[in-house]
Amino acid sequence: MAVNGGSEHFDVIVVGAGPAGSAAALIAARAGLSVALIERGEYPGAKNVSGAVFYGSAILNKLIPGWWEQAPVERHVCRRDLVLMSPTTSVSLDFRSSAAGYSEPPYNGFTILRPKFDRWFAAQAEAAGAFLLTSAVVDDVIKEDGQVVGVQVRRDMGELRGDVVIACDGANSWLARKAGLQRELHTHELSLGVKEVIGLDEATIRERFQLTGDEGVALEYVGAVTDSVHGGAFLYTNRDSLSLGILGQLSSLVEHKKRPYDLLEAFKAHPAVAPLVRGGTLREYSAHLIPEAGWNMVPTLYGDGILVAGDAAGFCLATGIYIEGINYAIQSGLAAGTAAVEACRRQDFTRYSLMKYMELLYQRNVLTDLRAYRHAPAFVNGERLQNVYPELAARISESLFRVAGDRKQKLLPLYWQTLQQVGTKPRHVLKDLYHVARAYLW
Amino acid sequence: MHIAVCLSRLPDPNTVEVDPLTGAVDASRMLYILNPADAAALERALQLRAPEDRVTALTVGPAEADSILRDALAVGADDVLRVWEEGRTSTRPAVTALLLATALRTTELPDMLLCGTRSLATGSGKVPALIAEYLDWPVVTDIVDFTLQGSMVRFLRRLAKGARSEGEVMLPAVLAVEAGAAALRYAGLPDLMKAKRAAIPVQDLSELGLSPVDLNFPAPTAQATMPPYRRPREIFVPEASLPPHERVLQVMSAGIAQKSGRIVSGSPEQAADQIIAFLADRGFVDRAG
Ligand SMILES: Cc1cc2nc3c(=O)[nH]c(=O)nc-3n(C[C@H](O)[C@H](O)[C@H](O)COP(=O)(O)OP(=O)(O)OC[C@H]3O[C@@H](n4cnc5c(N)ncnc54)[C@H](O)[C@@H]3O)c2cc1C
Repeated sequence: MAVNGGSEHFDVIVVGAGPAGSAAALIAARAGLSVALIERGEYPGAKNVSGAVFYGSAILNKLIPGWWEQAPVERHVCRRDLVLMSPTTSVSLDFRSSAAGYSEPPYNGFTILRPKFDRWFAAQAEAAGAFLLTSAVVDDVIKEDGQVVGVQVRRDMGELRGDVVIACDGANSWLARKAGLQRELHTHELSLGVKEVIGLDEATIRERFQLTGDEGVALEYVGAVTDSVHGGAFLYTNRDSLSLGILGQLSSLVEHKKRPYDLLEAFKAHPAVAPLVRGGTLREYSAHLIPEAGWNMVPTLYGDGILVAGDAAGFCLATGIYIEGINYAIQSGLAAGTAAVEACRRQDFTRYSLMKYMELLYQRNVLTDLRAYRHAPAFVNGERLQNVYPELAARISESLFRVAGDRKQKLLPLYWQTLQQVGTKPRHVLKDLYHVARAYLW
Repeated sequence: MHIAVCLSRLPDPNTVEVDPLTGAVDASRMLYILNPADAAALERALQLRAPEDRVTALTVGPAEADSILRDALAVGADDVLRVWEEGRTSTRPAVTALLLATALRTTELPDMLLCGTRSLATGSGKVPALIAEYLDWPVVTDIVDFTLQGSMVRFLRRLAKGARSEGEVMLPAVLAVEAGAAALRYAGLPDLMKAKRAAIPVQDLSELGLSPVDLNFPAPTAQATMPPYRRPREIFVPEASLPPHERVLQVMSAGIAQKSGRIVSGSPEQAADQIIAFLADRGFVDRAG
């Protein structure tokens, strides 16, 4: 690390201490490189927002064995619900498992609170030797002859130089655009998530959600929760609080002139949700963007002297059944960190050298998954899945379970009749079945 | 000139959560900030500093308190010092003040000690006065502005209800400033990075020549006193025997005669005698010889 004039030189500069950035900094620092990890918040995670269930326990376990024993985790998730909602009714698919993959170390996933988790994770990178700088906003990349050679921090004499810059600055990455790797995103490619943390005592949570010990549940909702807006909702159990929120596609929020906060209030008042949150006290309220278009919005991932990872690269899988972003953020951060380490070994920081990142992303299944589910975003945000099918499921169940002394209908006629009531044609259903299959089956 | 500034770290009020059932504060959610009034004191110290001057920032606190000293270094403090007794969890104002005063004595007495007038957390405002007591210096609290003229400080203090008072004090002195007295400057990137790597010197009790016993002040003993209480107000009742018109007049005047004052005159001694006689007549003082 050389000091020249006011500016210092690092091997690697990581921008953003979210899961992607801390992972990249950690692996690069472990390889003995000088690493700067720059975060705009007062501390890592100060303003970071996720649901959140972190599904990457096994990934992190390879990096920090038994990580959950030292990290601030809330509950391990061994129960998941997919809930289809109409304004008055809900139909859910309830999954619970005591199989080893879910209820034994390293577990499948944990609910986490990002401000705590991110702070812990960045501290691991720091312990490995990374230089963490907080309250520092990166405004731009510094380029010389087309090669990125550092970043400009919004402070006096804020020039910081490094061989490789890894942009991990989250959704709608400012840095990727500044470096000319990402175009302006469309509003249909981004969702806005608004989220609340509601405090509730531990005993009540266990009883209400039928959990024992540190078990947790993740509930995902589709249908009437978001009104005519394309989106969904979630509710996760923490140790002594619930995280719940709604996600709404930006373009459709604008189109329907809906305020996400109102949707969140309506969600909390829904008969299937109200009893779960009753008696809680609001602890936090936050909002954040999510890159939702998946494969179709992935920017150029590498350039001369620069790599893009995490949400900044659009590595978030929002398929309706789950939102997974943190695990891909960590995987891509590790891939970027490794690519930087190899580039340093070769002392070649051109894009041809950094292209290695692509290979590593496939190895770590980031691009593989994103590609496999490339049709899911469009399908999930389709009109019928959003608003018609949940209604259909709700109505069919309502008729199925109702006993009013009338003749019981068998399933197919019931289905047929309900389909007509909600105004959908059978051929639409067949078409959608094909889409489901294409998006999720093969 | 050598200016010392005392800084304290306190929980960010926005992160303090109280469990409504138990009343306990959830420490795991708490984040710490530099006390705003102390930040103002630090900024004033930096503004005052001439090229040959030195600014030292001190704090009493555990290792986590290093962060505020790093912040002080980043904005330009020349030296920092943290004072702590390992194993301690908190300090009372008297202990904090004793530790700070002793640290200043054992290292180097400054020409001026600046601090925040009170902390946002407890707000007792005792520390500045207690340090001054230990150093045997004058103290001025609630300062909103001050200027230095040689070794004299002209200050403006905040009084109740928006009033201000001006005054002067000779250095060395303890000056306790209000949070609004200045906004702390923003550190440049190289300074921030340097401060982050700086080693923070720490002194414990033995280095200060103190023993834990010195910090065990006698517990304050309770003394039974009656709190002052307000006399119940007497409600005026007009005399029933009077005609209505007179009664109305009596009610409207509420039976209160105009307040009458008496101005005594003569030489100060004579005037004093008259006042004492007046008070003695009414039993407020003993008629002394
Ligand atoms: C409401 C909601 C719910 C979600 N639920 C889940 C879930 O349950 N499970 C899941 O896996 N994922 C979930 N996600 C997605 C997940 O949050 C993201 O995919 C993940 O946080 C991406 O990590 P990252 O490190 O790439 O970016 P981020 O976590 O966004 O971190 C970016 C960091 O960069 C910093 N930064 C940004 N710009 C600058 C700058 N110019 N200079 C310096 N620093 C900068 C930011 O302060 C931040 O710390 C959810 C998202 C939302 C919004």
